[in-house]
Amino acid sequence: MASRTASVVRQVRPILSINREDARRKVLTLYKAWIRQVPISLLSYDIPKSEADCKRKIREEFKRHVHLTDLRIIDKLIIKGQMELQEVANVWKPTGALMHYWKETWEKKPTDFMSKFLSGQD
Amino acid sequence: MLRLPIVRATGLAGGRHCSVSFHTTSNKSQQELIELFIDDKPVQVPPGTTVLQAAAKVGVEIPRFCYHERLAVAGNCRMCLVEIEKQVKPIAACAMPVMKGWRVKTNSDLTRKAREGVMEFLLVNHPLDCPICDQGGECDLQDQSMAFGTDRSRFVDINFSGKRAVEDKDMGPLIKTVMTRCIHCTRCIRFASEVAGIDDLGTTGRGNDMQVGTYVEKMFLSELSGNIIDLCPVGALTSKPYAFVARPWETRRTDSIDIHDAVGSNIVISHRTGEVLRILPRVNEEVNEEWLSDKARFSYDGLKRQRLITPMMKINGKLEAVDWEDALIAAARPLANISADKCAAIAGKLVDAEALIAMKDLVNKLGSEGLATEQCFPKDGSGIDLRSSYLLNNTIAAVEDADVVVLIGTNPRYEAPLINTRLRKGYLHGEQTIALIGPDVDLTYEHEHLGESFDIITKLRNGSHPFRATLKEAKKPLVILGADQLTRQDGAKILYETQALAKALGDDSKAPQDWKILNILHTNASQVAALDIGYGSTVEEIKEQQPKVLFLLGADDANIKKEDFPNTFIIYIGIHGDAGAAIADVVLAGAAYTEKVASYVNTEGRSQQTCAAITPPGLARPDWKIIRALSELTGVTLPYDNLNDVRSRLEEVAPHLVRYGNVEPANFFKQALEIAKHQSGGSFLSDPVDIKHKTLDQFFMTDVVSRASLTMAKCVQAVMKQRQSAV
Repeated sequence: MASRTASVVRQVRPILSINREDARRKVLTLYKAWIRQVPISLLSYDIPKSEADCKRKIREEFKRHVHLTDLRIIDKLIIKGQMELQEVANVWKPTGALMHYWKETWEKKPTDFMSKFLSGQD
Repeated sequence: MLRLPIVRATGLAGGRHCSVSFHTTSNKSQQELIELFIDDKPVQVPPGTTVLQAAAKVGVEIPRFCYHERLAVAGNCRMCLVEIEKQVKPIAACAMPVMKGWRVKTNSDLTRKAREGVMEFLLVNHPLDCPICDQGGECDLQDQSMAFGTDRSRFVDINFSGKRAVEDKDMGPLIKTVMTRCIHCTRCIRFASEVAGIDDLGTTGRGNDMQVGTYVEKMFLSELSGNIIDLCPVGALTSKPYAFVARPWETRRTDSIDIHDAVGSNIVISHRTGEVLRILPRVNEEVNEEWLSDKARFSYDGLKRQRLITPMMKINGKLEAVDWEDALIAAARPLANISADKCAAIAGKLVDAEALIAMKDLVNKLGSEGLATEQCFPKDGSGIDLRSSYLLNNTIAAVEDADVVVLIGTNPRYEAPLINTRLRKGYLHGEQTIALIGPDVDLTYEHEHLGESFDIITKLRNGSHPFRATLKEAKKPLVILGADQLTRQDGAKILYETQALAKALGDDSKAPQDWKILNILHTNASQVAALDIGYGSTVEEIKEQQPKVLFLLGADDANIKKEDFPNTFIIYIGIHGDAGAAIADVVLAGAAYTEKVASYVNTEGRSQQTCAAITPPGLARPDWKIIRALSELTGVTLPYDNLNDVRSRLEEVAPHLVRYGNVEPANFFKQALEIAKHQSGGSFLSDPVDIKHKTLDQFFMTDVVSRASLTMAKCVQAVMKQRQSAV
């Protein structure tokens, strides 16, 4: 017998945003702040990336969480994003840590049989 | 020799084997069950059942030391004392047959007091050396003294004058003895005389001076000696190679399958930090019960020595370690654009079904059919097309039910020790008559030696041999033919005559329909899987074929020499640097059975799988992956990338190979005989029947793993030494 699962709605205490619209506004504000920061930060950081590269990366990082619906998690990410922005704006973050966004030195996990075999991974 | 153990003599049903011996009366006794009450729980059991067994039936476990369900009842430890209502004294549950209406109390004050008393007496003379005892953590005495012992001590011997001390015995290179710890349960003695068939162990002295030992200075040398380590409830008998190595709670355990013989014993691999620490048997009533041969149990140290840990390549006439890319490219070069029929493979003893199918697919894709096993099987007649002509058709467990067994050119004691225990069980408890054609060897039970010539098979068939009279009266006859005999030039003739004999016996015995008389006993773990998959050639044929490229898939025992293949590029895939790797141009390092998930089919056609306990050493890889990688570089990529894909391919070829744990029965005996009929002419070669393993020293080192094992070498030495001192 298939039991019907009742959808449970729970009222939770908000962290920052009151409703979805509010969260969306905050995210957009944060996004714009990041985009405005790009030309300034490129002056203080010596990284081999153009303005367009950085903007694309910022967009990608925001889009990474596009599926989220839980307000509390969105709020948490907004706070994290603000902290991150502060670190970049004040040049607290070293160049290497900034470049970590592009994961250029990461070795990709082998996918086909032969490279798995040679690297000894299953 | 004691043919009837106490159980049978006194008419007590002491476990599984007795259900066999009571077979004739079982129908009657099933009707009149006795009812009794264990802790007020009613239970109905056939008469002759012991109290302990009746209690086990309702899930009440009575503590015991000396009782073991596969051995005769001794009743000397007194740990299983229980109270029975309206009886004056507590009784020993393991030896007392039940009576109607008894009310057994397994947890009453009297019972508890009796146990406490027994425990106290045992501990008075047991050393307190648990911290340095190898049994610590898996000790019955430890566990039961915690559960049933008293909580205070009356032992006040502060002057260390009273505790019993016993001299240790030298039981050989496998068993370490600390006889002071012995509690005289006599399990080891009963195992030795009943299962192993060696009446070497016994007791001397009485009371406090009683000692378990070998009477005279002698080592306990048997192919099953390791089992007394498992049987010993305390730390008196422990494993010598495992001494002071690990504690049971700190090891991980992986269930697996043994591959040193074709029985496919179920084992548990104990391992820690990527190292195999010991191997123990796992209960499987249909295969090994709970025993394990010494080769399977102790040769694991061979997995750490002489291993191939990196691929190798012949550079300027010398094998040098290279990485996988170089080795694979070097191996693939001669394979590219190879003309048809110029490539062949020989599979060894320890190869798994996955590697066999990958090898076959690769060789077939390269346009060849030259696939051989080390131990060849005659091609004449139906050859390997009908499974019934190469399986132990009647299953291992049913061997003990036979009443007359004819062994042809085999020594099951060393070729398959756990099948020999079945035969011995049948001999002891089932009045089995066993006859042997071949060199007269010690099989641990009495047998009739029919001679050393294959002509006897023909004589048995046409009735001109006196033993035929015995066979004629048999209700369940069994013919077991050693697979090694089929490698002879006249192998096909031997097989035909054996098939014909089985047919003749079947005709006059009126055995039940599912009783299969023809049985082949294999010695190699890989053989049945290889034949199922279609490795039909012989090594001789491949020598004639003179292939451009020859794959040796762990083939070390076929006596293949470089001179036989002067212009051949030899690629060896295997685990040990042995004969095969020595003649190879490229060596590809494979994984051993403890390091891969792989399928094996045992001699009765039961498919089972090993599980990976540890990772392969160094750069070694599972064998089928090596073949798959090589195929990609050769340009004939095999269509499987992971284990599941390979197994689907196995299923395509032979579905039973992936039905793990099941026996896939074979049939078409009549047709196989019909096809083989053209062999009926001709005659046997004049050489007498010969078998490879005649004495114990020949048993220990038979494959690459056991040849590399120090422990096995020590065993061989011990046997030699014992033999010299006996003369």
